[in-house]
Amino acid sequence: MPGADADRGKQAILKVGCGACHTIPGVRWPRGKAAPALDGMSGRALIAGRVPNQPELLAMFIRNAPSLAPRTTMPEMPLTEQESRDIAAYLYEVGD
Amino acid sequence: MTSETGFDPELYKRFPTREERPDSEVEELDRIWEAPRGWAFLTVVNNNYIGVFYIGAAFLFFLLAGVLALLIRTQLALPLNGILSQEIYNQVFTMHGTVMMFLFAVPMMEALGILLLPQMLAARDLPFPRLSAYAFWAYFTGGLFFFASIFFALAPNSGWFMYPPLSSKIYSPGINADLWLLGIGFIEIAAIAGAIELIVGVLKTRAPGMTLARMPIFAWALLVFAGMILIAFPAIILCTLLLELERALNWPFFDAMRGGDPMLWQHLFWFFGHPDVYIIFLPAAGLISMMVAALSRTELVGYHLIVLAILATAFISFGVWSHHMFTTGMPRLSIGFFSAASMAVSIPAGIQLFAWIATFAAGKPRYNTPTLFLIGALITFVIGGLTGVMLALVPFNWQVHDTHFIVAHFHYVLIGGAVFPMFAAFYYWMGMTSRRPLSERLGKWVFWLMFTGMQITFLPMHLTGLMGMPRRVWTYLPHTDWMATNMISTVGAFVLAAGVLLFLIDLARNFRFTVRHDAGNTYGGGTLEWLRAGSYSTRSIPVVRSRQPLWDDPDLRDDVDKGRYFLPFSATGNRETIITSPVRAEPQYLQILPGPSVWPMLSAIFTAGFFLLLTIQAYWPAVFSGVLVLPCLIRWLWDTDRPVASDHADVGGGIRLPTYSTGPGSHSWWAVVSLLVVIFMIWLMTVFSWFFLYGVHTYFWAEMGEPLWLIPILGGYGAAAGLVLLGRHLLARKDSTLWSPPTQFLLAAGALMFAFAADFIGWRSAGIDPEASSQAALVMTFLAQQGQLVAVSVIMALYVAVRNARGLITRPRNVTFDVVALFLLYTAGQGAASAALTRLFPGGF
Amino acid sequence: MLEGWPPPIIDPAGPYAGPISTLTWALFAMAALVLVVVIAAMWVALFGKAQQKRRLGGTAVIWIGGIAFPVLVLTILLYFGLTLTRSLSYSIGGDEMRVRITGEMWWWRVAYLDDRRRPVIHDANELHIPVGKPVVLELESADVIHSFWVPRLSGKLDMIPGRLNMKVIQANEPGVFGGQCAEFCGGPHALMGFIVVAHPPEQFEKLMQARLSPRGATGARPAVAGAELFQSAGCAACHRIAGTNANGLAGPDLTHVGTRRTLGAGILPNNRGTMMGWIANSQAIKPGNRMPPYTMLSGEELTELAVYLEAQR
Repeated sequence: MPGADADRGKQAILKVGCGACHTIPGVRWPRGKAAPALDGMSGRALIAGRVPNQPELLAMFIRNAPSLAPRTTMPEMPLTEQESRDIAAYLYEVGD
Repeated sequence: MTSETGFDPELYKRFPTREERPDSEVEELDRIWEAPRGWAFLTVVNNNYIGVFYIGAAFLFFLLAGVLALLIRTQLALPLNGILSQEIYNQVFTMHGTVMMFLFAVPMMEALGILLLPQMLAARDLPFPRLSAYAFWAYFTGGLFFFASIFFALAPNSGWFMYPPLSSKIYSPGINADLWLLGIGFIEIAAIAGAIELIVGVLKTRAPGMTLARMPIFAWALLVFAGMILIAFPAIILCTLLLELERALNWPFFDAMRGGDPMLWQHLFWFFGHPDVYIIFLPAAGLISMMVAALSRTELVGYHLIVLAILATAFISFGVWSHHMFTTGMPRLSIGFFSAASMAVSIPAGIQLFAWIATFAAGKPRYNTPTLFLIGALITFVIGGLTGVMLALVPFNWQVHDTHFIVAHFHYVLIGGAVFPMFAAFYYWMGMTSRRPLSERLGKWVFWLMFTGMQITFLPMHLTGLMGMPRRVWTYLPHTDWMATNMISTVGAFVLAAGVLLFLIDLARNFRFTVRHDAGNTYGGGTLEWLRAGSYSTRSIPVVRSRQPLWDDPDLRDDVDKGRYFLPFSATGNRETIITSPVRAEPQYLQILPGPSVWPMLSAIFTAGFFLLLTIQAYWPAVFSGVLVLPCLIRWLWDTDRPVASDHADVGGGIRLPTYSTGPGSHSWWAVVSLLVVIFMIWLMTVFSWFFLYGVHTYFWAEMGEPLWLIPILGGYGAAAGLVLLGRHLLARKDSTLWSPPTQFLLAAGALMFAFAADFIGWRSAGIDPEASSQAALVMTFLAQQGQLVAVSVIMALYVAVRNARGLITRPRNVTFDVVALFLLYTAGQGAASAALTRLFPGGF
Repeated sequence: MLEGWPPPIIDPAGPYAGPISTLTWALFAMAALVLVVVIAAMWVALFGKAQQKRRLGGTAVIWIGGIAFPVLVLTILLYFGLTLTRSLSYSIGGDEMRVRITGEMWWWRVAYLDDRRRPVIHDANELHIPVGKPVVLELESADVIHSFWVPRLSGKLDMIPGRLNMKVIQANEPGVFGGQCAEFCGGPHALMGFIVVAHPPEQFEKLMQARLSPRGATGARPAVAGAELFQSAGCAACHRIAGTNANGLAGPDLTHVGTRRTLGAGILPNNRGTMMGWIANSQAIKPGNRMPPYTMLSGEELTELAVYLEAQR
């Protein structure tokens, strides 16, 4: 992803606590099970089973999921646009 | 030379005798002592079979608990590992500790005693062979059932010391805790049965001439070990009983809301728990002393100091229990006392350690497998001892208590102080019970794998603890510094396990059980267990003139074998052994031993059934099983204490000994007194609980009892005691009728029931509610204990009456009669004391 | 990354831990010395020359090595230990700051007491203290035995039902000090953490003053919705937030939850994601804890709750 940095993405994941619901490769703690594990992201066709898996959509989903999928349990996260792109980059990187 | 019993030591000079003994005597011994075949083999009682069964069972539990240890280490290898869930992990670590302590360590020491002791003393068998069989079967069936709970995820999960209130009904509602309380309480019964057996064995069945000062150190260790069991185990029997009563009947012993106190459990548990460590260590130290001397081919240096050290250890170990409780907020004064005592207990260990070093130096040790295990044991034990001294320093203890530092510490102590010596003993004594010795080549591999594995596992674990990792955690978080040391420990555990696995391979290749065609004295020991033996033990029982008779008298082995000493035959046609005096081991009388019987085994199985069915709340089957114990026990006892045709018998060398004895000189008297010590200790611990809870929660206590009730109660118990003494007096009198002595016992039993009923009704009329306060619950506990004693007394009095009807109560003295008299007298005494205490304190004084 | 974890023993930060660290080093020196002596003696006994062995092979060695040597070493240690124990004990004057800490399965209830020992500020799993002043802790248990342990500040002391144990701690420097329950208390005992935060005195005073008048939810939309949800979803049955209708006492007091550094008793950093994840399914993070999963809440509802709770400062 242009202009996104996976390392910064991991820092953002730790900062907002994505791990409390998702088991994420490379995040050792917490490893929540309230929501799906986020491994193999680059190989998936859909995000959350309904949104096409494209980098910009993923970044948007990360920041504000209810705007893309109204009934999702994934809440809006207090992230900047840059941070959400970084996170998406991280998920694609570890999800190969 | 002076004498203890009037036996003339000059008579020893008749041995070895010169005349040839016929081979038919050996054939007869063989026939009498032969173990039953086929299914009946299970009814065998000879110590050389039961001992091996017992060791095998204890080793099985060692392996099972070892597998649990590997599970623990695998789970902790990585942070947030998911091999075991939290609940299963809590069960696994609880079972690992419990099984290692209660089903492996103590029983293994007892088992080694049962196998080795009679051979070391050149006795034909232990004095109560059926009791050993009972202890074994109770332990084995109970232990298997208990262990099986882990397969159903029903195993106890509150840690091996089961602190309430975590183990109380409210926080442990399942049957897991009940399994622990009833299972362990019950297995302690087997341990106590074994301990009584060993005490009487050491004191009364030594070969003639084996004075206390000539006794093998292992016998000393077993004597002290068994004595400590009698003093310490009642504490855990009582605390498991109290907690089970709290769980089942809601009697609040540990519930602070109703005058109980969780600390009561800790005091009672550790009053058992700390001596228990020495209970495990002392016999192992005894084995080390024996092996160090034999393998260095020299006399043990400092024999007397070692004996003193053993006694001192036992004494001090009862004064250190609170060092497990330094972090509970104890007053500073008691902290100082327990800190000092905990340090002092290391001095006797130091004495033994340097005695072994001196013995190595004095002799010429060869570097075979048992020697390697001994050296490994010493190094490991010293490290454990040193961290133990560190822990005795209270401020340091405040930091590392309940961390992995503690885990490392006690594994050093127990593996160095018991497991490595045990493996040394396996290699050293294997020749006694197997056709082939174990392999020296494999053995060295076994040692190096186990030793390095042990160090790799537990040395880094000290650091894990200092870094703050608590014990009993099913996982830890990744951003801690504990990962590296935990991973190393896990690798070490598997190396250690590989050593044990290799040992199993060695066993499979070389261990072939035998009692007759054994490989013999592979390592050149000098004590009596290396005499040639069959199912009857040695052909004749030698006169012992030194500590290492085989080294000092090269002809001894042959002379014994040719029957040139005591009892080269069966004097009465029964199984028999010579009972000697406790100090100088002078022959006193010939004891007739019971043979194989199915009843001890059935009694054990039904006893186990009673306790274990209770745990799974199958109340009616439990009661049924419990009721079945009674006829089995009575049937077992019915064969014993029979009139003997001739009252004296020739035991070789023209020496004639009585064939019957009762009173303070007899083995039965010692056994009953030992049992009464246990019952008394349980009572004493209850008294301790009474004063302890009063001291903690005085405002909960009231003057509840009416002292006037003491008049009928004390009157009843007094009358019972008087009647018992009258009965004993009448039995000894020539002109008493057939029925006059046992009738006094029946009347005494009636008086006991009357006094107990008065006690009970007195409390009922005071409106006592055991669920309301710890005081009332303890009153009921005293009553429950007394009720049991009275019930047993009544059964005993009836038993005497029935035996009397069959003409089995011989006159002027009778063992059964005397035993029952002792028990009845004790029951009256304890009943009177309990009734007086509960009614006069608090308030009455 | 979470602060204050792991809890190191040999890195003291206060007068009740410092001497123990010294003692630890002394004890290790003693142990090393004795171990060297014993191994040397064993080495000579096993591999020494005949003459050396002879010198070692008598009862004199037992008297010297097994009795005299340990008695000497142990006497010194005992003296040292008892003196140290005395120096570590603190006689409580009465005007120290007092905090009652109650161990519960599997978290810590914290109540700051006024000078008449009445609780004035309620919190959980986190203790704030002023640097350089002794703080008296009243340790209690609400259920089973727990043990309070913040190794950089002092040794551990058990919390026993029906008993009150007093402990004094003091930090010499500002910082966050991690701790953990040290007595097995069942279930997720492994995840029962705690932190102590030491502040410079004036900052500490400000903090306490602020807490005496807690600042609740702002008028922002999600926070108002969160406040309603807090009642309707049942949170208030177990949690208390001062100044609202939420008066539940079973779980941690949430009056100041927005300021807390950790969630779940010292195991998670406190941020939006962990707050929402903990509410959604804390069982996946800390299995067996007493808070049920709230998987029925939608993403929006989780956000509302989290915003509301973050505002509780």
